[in-house]
Amino acid sequence: MSATSARPPSPRAAPSAAGGLARARLHPVDVVLRRARRYQALRRASLALSVAVVIGLPLWHLSAVGAASAGLSGGGPWAAIARALGFPRSAPPVVGAPPAIDLFGLELLDPLLALGVALAHGFRLSLLLVALPALVVVALLGRFFCGWVCPYVPLLAASNALRWLLGRMGMRLPDLRLPRRTSLWVLVGILVATAVLGTQLAPLVYPPAVIGREAFRAVFFGSLGLGALVVGAAFAFDTFVSRAGFCRSLCPGGALFSLVGAASPVRVRRVAERCTDCTVCDVVCNLGQRPMTDGLDAGCERCGKCVSACPTGALTMGLGTILPRSGP
Amino acid sequence: MNRRGLLGAAGAVAAAALLPRRARASSPALRPPGALPPGEFEQACIGCFRCAEVCPPKAIRFPALLSLAAVQPFIDARDRACILCMRCTEVCPTGALLPVPASSEAVARQVRMGTPVLERRDCLPWNGRGVCRLCFYVCPYAGTAVELVGPRQAPLFHAETCVGCGLCEEACPGEARAIRIRPPEGARSRG
Repeated sequence: MSATSARPPSPRAAPSAAGGLARARLHPVDVVLRRARRYQALRRASLALSVAVVIGLPLWHLSAVGAASAGLSGGGPWAAIARALGFPRSAPPVVGAPPAIDLFGLELLDPLLALGVALAHGFRLSLLLVALPALVVVALLGRFFCGWVCPYVPLLAASNALRWLLGRMGMRLPDLRLPRRTSLWVLVGILVATAVLGTQLAPLVYPPAVIGREAFRAVFFGSLGLGALVVGAAFAFDTFVSRAGFCRSLCPGGALFSLVGAASPVRVRRVAERCTDCTVCDVVCNLGQRPMTDGLDAGCERCGKCVSACPTGALTMGLGTILPRSGP
Repeated sequence: MNRRGLLGAAGAVAAAALLPRRARASSPALRPPGALPPGEFEQACIGCFRCAEVCPPKAIRFPALLSLAAVQPFIDARDRACILCMRCTEVCPTGALLPVPASSEAVARQVRMGTPVLERRDCLPWNGRGVCRLCFYVCPYAGTAVELVGPRQAPLFHAETCVGCGLCEEACPGEARAIRIRPPEGARSRG
């Protein structure tokens, strides 16, 4: 629970004008790009890999099935693109996209989707086994999928940039702060409806599942379904109504990961003596966490942007150890 | 979120899980081979599109419209039929499609995507307007699933041996296609 009012006084408190300046001038993406560290480079590489899988893998599969059925399938523009990009004609060793992926024979399933199948169709041990790797990693690292794997993150970055740009152009955008437990009720509602209706509902609204399916559809059939509208609605909500509001307070996957990772030992800590109360960490956080006042909870996605952005190195992430810093 | 809210939420999900599950068949559609019966398939399929990704003829598609069945794959045999390679049954992560060995005997034994329905008025040999036989020539189980009978060599389908791949429906010429693969009828309740 964030406790903004109960902020402990900092011995090296900066003039309050600096805090106001940070809030007014800093672009959330800009701050992190300028002070990029290995941690952020790694995170961006992970996200890039996720996006490459979501878009590149259907291209590779298209190349492979195109070879298997030359003359059968017409191909279309993407098939030509796949050929031009030199995708091999043998079947790739990876099938699917992050929510349900066969990674070189290792079967991985998003716990949210596994839970939906268990509720609607019945529990089987195999479901638990394929969801277990993600569950273990989330229990240890917290809600890190949201910052490291989810293919919606690049869209969120674009949404933030657009928000910032519109703000610079003088548009007053609201920032609705729904309570984070709203996402818990979305999660419960989806799971209950899935069990009662007997059909899988999470894949209709869970961005990783929707984005994977729509990217596949675009590559294979050159069309988009209404899933694109779902993602578009989330983007519009994040841009015009509430900054990262979908991720922070609506996403059922984020809610589940927050629950599973609630006891994660890896978390952001603040060295109060180094903190100047400049508010940069609070400003860069997408998910409404308040590192400056130690107001972090299970909603933290361990993106480490606050740690990278902190000008005085007052924030650390890990098992209580200080993250190596490569810049001033 | 507080502990009581959390417990209430977990209780709601658990209660929903304990409700008797009713398998609901949505609008009948031709499913990929190895699919669970209608109703159960919708319970287990998460719409991950892996079956469609490995489908050589790109026969497996996803509904473009947002509906309760929006995530589940279907086959429009009239446009592109299944070639019975069974690749899709190998990649399903949730068991909505059960693996079927890609042998002629195993497919004949285990796969029942639907049953063939022939409209004799529209069939060229039956209505006397032509000598077609295309369905017979494309059928992987020609001779058992479909045979040519009578002086006009008109096709006669046997639903009990037909696997329902739809290659005949795809091949059937003309606008009024005489053959349709009818998806299996819906839902049986399971407790």
